[in-house]
Amino acid sequence: MLLEKYTDHINEILSRYPVRRSALLPLLNLAQREDGYVSESAMKEIARILRLTPSQVYEVVTFYTMLNLKPIGKFHIQVCRSLMCALVGSDTLVGWLQARLGIRPRETTPDRLFTLSTVECLASCGTGPMMQVNEEYYEQLTEEKVDRILADLKRDGTCSLKSGPFMFPQPELQQVKR
Amino acid sequence: MADVAIETVTLTIDGVPVTALKGTLVIEAARQMGVMIPHFCYHPKLKPDANCRMCVVEIEKVPKLQTSCSTPVAEGMVVRTATTVVNEAHKSILEFILANHPLDCPVCDQGGRCDLQDFSHESTPTTSRFVEVKRIFQKEYFSPLIETEMNRCVQCLRCVRYCDEVMDVKALAPSGRGTMTEIKHFSIHELDCEFCGGCVQICPVGAITSRLSMYEFRPWMLKRADTICTYCGDGCQITIQTKENELIEVNSSHGAGRNNGDLCPRGFFGYHVSTHPDRLQHPLIRRNGALVQTTWEEALEFIAETCLSLKLAHGPTAFAGLIASRCTNEDLYVFQKFMRLVIGTNQLDSSARYGHINGVRALLRVQGTHRWTIAFEDIVSAHALLLVGTNITETNPITGLKVKEAVKKRGAVLVTVEALQPAIGTISNITNLAAHHVTAHPERFGDAVLGLIKGVVEEGLVDPSLTQRAPEYVKAISEAVRCLPWSAIEQATGSTSSALRAAARAFADAPRAVILVGQGVLRAPGGSGVTTTLLDLLLLTGHHGRPGCGLAPLAEENNDQGAVEMGTVAEFLPGPGDLTDQAVRERIAGLWKEELPQTPGRTLMEILDDARAGTVKVLFVVGENPVGTLPHAARAKEALERLELLVCQELFLTETAALADVVLPACSYAEKSGTFTNTEGHVQSVRQAIEPVGESRPDWEILSALSVLLGYPIEYREPREILKEIRSLISGYGLLGPAPIPPRPDAAVVEGYLKKGFAEDVTSRYSLSSSTDRQAGNLTLVVAQSLFHSGKLSTRAKGLLELQKAGALALNPADATLLGIAEGDQVRLSNARGQMTTSVQVRDRVPEGQAVFPEHFDQEVRRLLSVSPDPQTGAPYFKTTQVKVEKV
Repeated sequence: MLLEKYTDHINEILSRYPVRRSALLPLLNLAQREDGYVSESAMKEIARILRLTPSQVYEVVTFYTMLNLKPIGKFHIQVCRSLMCALVGSDTLVGWLQARLGIRPRETTPDRLFTLSTVECLASCGTGPMMQVNEEYYEQLTEEKVDRILADLKRDGTCSLKSGPFMFPQPELQQVKR
Repeated sequence: MADVAIETVTLTIDGVPVTALKGTLVIEAARQMGVMIPHFCYHPKLKPDANCRMCVVEIEKVPKLQTSCSTPVAEGMVVRTATTVVNEAHKSILEFILANHPLDCPVCDQGGRCDLQDFSHESTPTTSRFVEVKRIFQKEYFSPLIETEMNRCVQCLRCVRYCDEVMDVKALAPSGRGTMTEIKHFSIHELDCEFCGGCVQICPVGAITSRLSMYEFRPWMLKRADTICTYCGDGCQITIQTKENELIEVNSSHGAGRNNGDLCPRGFFGYHVSTHPDRLQHPLIRRNGALVQTTWEEALEFIAETCLSLKLAHGPTAFAGLIASRCTNEDLYVFQKFMRLVIGTNQLDSSARYGHINGVRALLRVQGTHRWTIAFEDIVSAHALLLVGTNITETNPITGLKVKEAVKKRGAVLVTVEALQPAIGTISNITNLAAHHVTAHPERFGDAVLGLIKGVVEEGLVDPSLTQRAPEYVKAISEAVRCLPWSAIEQATGSTSSALRAAARAFADAPRAVILVGQGVLRAPGGSGVTTTLLDLLLLTGHHGRPGCGLAPLAEENNDQGAVEMGTVAEFLPGPGDLTDQAVRERIAGLWKEELPQTPGRTLMEILDDARAGTVKVLFVVGENPVGTLPHAARAKEALERLELLVCQELFLTETAALADVVLPACSYAEKSGTFTNTEGHVQSVRQAIEPVGESRPDWEILSALSVLLGYPIEYREPREILKEIRSLISGYGLLGPAPIPPRPDAAVVEGYLKKGFAEDVTSRYSLSSSTDRQAGNLTLVVAQSLFHSGKLSTRAKGLLELQKAGALALNPADATLLGIAEGDQVRLSNARGQMTTSVQVRDRVPEGQAVFPEHFDQEVRRLLSVSPDPQTGAPYFKTTQVKVEKV
């Protein structure tokens, strides 16, 4: 149960808002961080905490695409498919990922390691095509890079190619400046 | 509402000058002058959402089209609703909707009464520029009674908003976003809610429909009859729609009746009772111990002969009668006239005895009225509302909506003293809206009321003019409550003194305050006393007699109020006038041209005692079912078995009818005409919707036929004639329909009460209820009304059985954990009187220490209950007891 585990944190979230219902998104975020998705029991618990009906929580979860209603893999790959990335080949990137993982967007590999999603702009237009895996960005992707990232993630759980969000201006350019 | 200054503005709509109240929306101002602006998402009951864009109009000096549903009128505004620009906008919005809306009108139950069809017809689009594939939602099972066809949805969200704003249930969720938004409950779960049918009624298209009549009709085949629902005292207007004498559906049009078009599950889904296959079709007569079919002639002649010989042998005191207050006023009136004139006895009573009489007697005693001094409108416009023992959502759902409207839309302060606690559940819970709430023990509502009065006295909130007017009254009550220690009140109510003082202050400070008293009080020991004490609260705070203020006891059955006014209770003649009041007797005798019997009236329980003792030998029972209602401890069956003649007029072979010597099939409300008087005292027309089932006849007609055979004909050609007679005898029956002119308290009676009347029982009323602390491990069993049923009658409605088909014991989660019980487990309830097993529901709204069981399925539970009649009013109390609960 979330409330037992995160009592103080939840109370802190509730204390931020004059209207209890306003704490809904932060609590859903907390629930998703806990399980990787928002489970039915989490929705019911949050409803109880906020004195809402489960339906009122459910409708919010379905509205926000970043909240998952189904369990996802250990690594959630979110590929940007907005205009800038599309111009530099996000379609090919998605195709490559599909071929490598053997799944289509919104699906999870049978080993529950990878879930593939396509998303709208991740504000990294200068370094496309790009994707976000869990909290990390991977930018200026090529097929080779993707293969290496997938292999590293599978083996080590992390990959050195990761870059924080907002890589622009590019690292090499930053070095030149210095 | 006279304290609000009325401001108006003048504007022009389509070239016509219009004056409208300030704050009116343009769409409403247009409607008032007869211009219908097409719309989907707008509904007068809901806050404007302006999501469908259908209602756009041109407003001069505003550059773009404006949504008329969210634009208030302004002085000098010039609105055009039918220009080329507006028409083009309507067309394109329809084009967008029809891009996805399927053209399955031929199989859609809404076809023929669909807003989308009507608006499309108006703007006659024949082509669409959309060539894309239409959106298709996966069809999912929604609920046993409500069907969704989401492909038809125009996403106006009226259903979702109604469910939240009006019903406070919040069961519907618009899931997803954009075109792919669909109405769901919670995830993949089937709908679990109040099933008020509001979403079905408010859907402008065929996206949400009733499954009870799916595909059975086309709207133009239906014959309509506007009548009154028979499932509680609220008196909602319903429209029964029939096809070739078959009940198809029930709805209620917006603005209709006291319910303003809102219904509850009983009203919306409970209509199949009238055509249940078990309905009695022919008269039955007992031969060799068994009931066998007979003819009307034979049945009536047998009754008449037996009656005449028994009357000759034992006199009229050997006769008594009981009638259900579900009957029409006309039935009730003829029944008491039959008993009084044809038989010659006052020994008659009705089901108003079960509780409603307590409220009426308290009102009569303190303020000299037998009706509410307020109307539903006063509930809506009250500043403070006090609810005591109502469980209003489940007992009187539509009065509950008025309370919800007052609190949610108008910001009234709600004080609740209820045997339930705030909790979110699948049905709404009035205590969730309370600013001050006392979770009262079901046997101790009176203690909480005393706490409030003590709060009023100690906070110095007593009306100074009352202190001047009736110093002794104020002094006596002030002293009485001062003697009650807060510690004892806190222990009895579970609320702190500061909470009770705050609640008292909130109530006393409100300019307009209304008290609603429910079955929790009226059907429990001391019901009449607690209601009187609540009237004291109104008097002390100075609210009593002020316009818009008053106390309102909620009637359980649709015509409890009518039963009292028709004189079908032991103590009253029609009027109601006191049985011993010489002036009333003379007036009635003058009209009936016959002396009234001199014998005293006998209440329900006394009649049963007399039957058991053998002094009553003949009992006429019309729709009443004492064997199936009273606990076994009342020994009703034993009493009825001793009778020499038991005549039952019934719809079904009930427990009581099964003991009868003659059973006469009666018409249900759907098959007859007449009037019902609702809880607030409105007399409303009941209209026939279908032909009588089998050989059944209206109750009044049966009694009239019997009167002829008994040699004292009381004959009427039609119910209207009876109403005419009622009108000449009883005030308040002149005008039918919603015309709220509530009576005013009788100043002389109030004065008498303040001077002297209060003193007779002030000590007993102002003492805390004797401690009935339950033994360790025992729970207080409360047999209460459920939202989905009304008495035993509704347990024959197939729609309602889908919602609740058996009783289950509702427990608080803490008690369930303590007993090691989970949802659905079987438990044994036991006490000294007996035991039974049932299954368990865990419900947050049930307070700790209580166990709630629905009265509609109480066949077994009645074994555990004791029964005690009220010493003053004779109302039998049997709704609570102590039980031990164990897992089996």
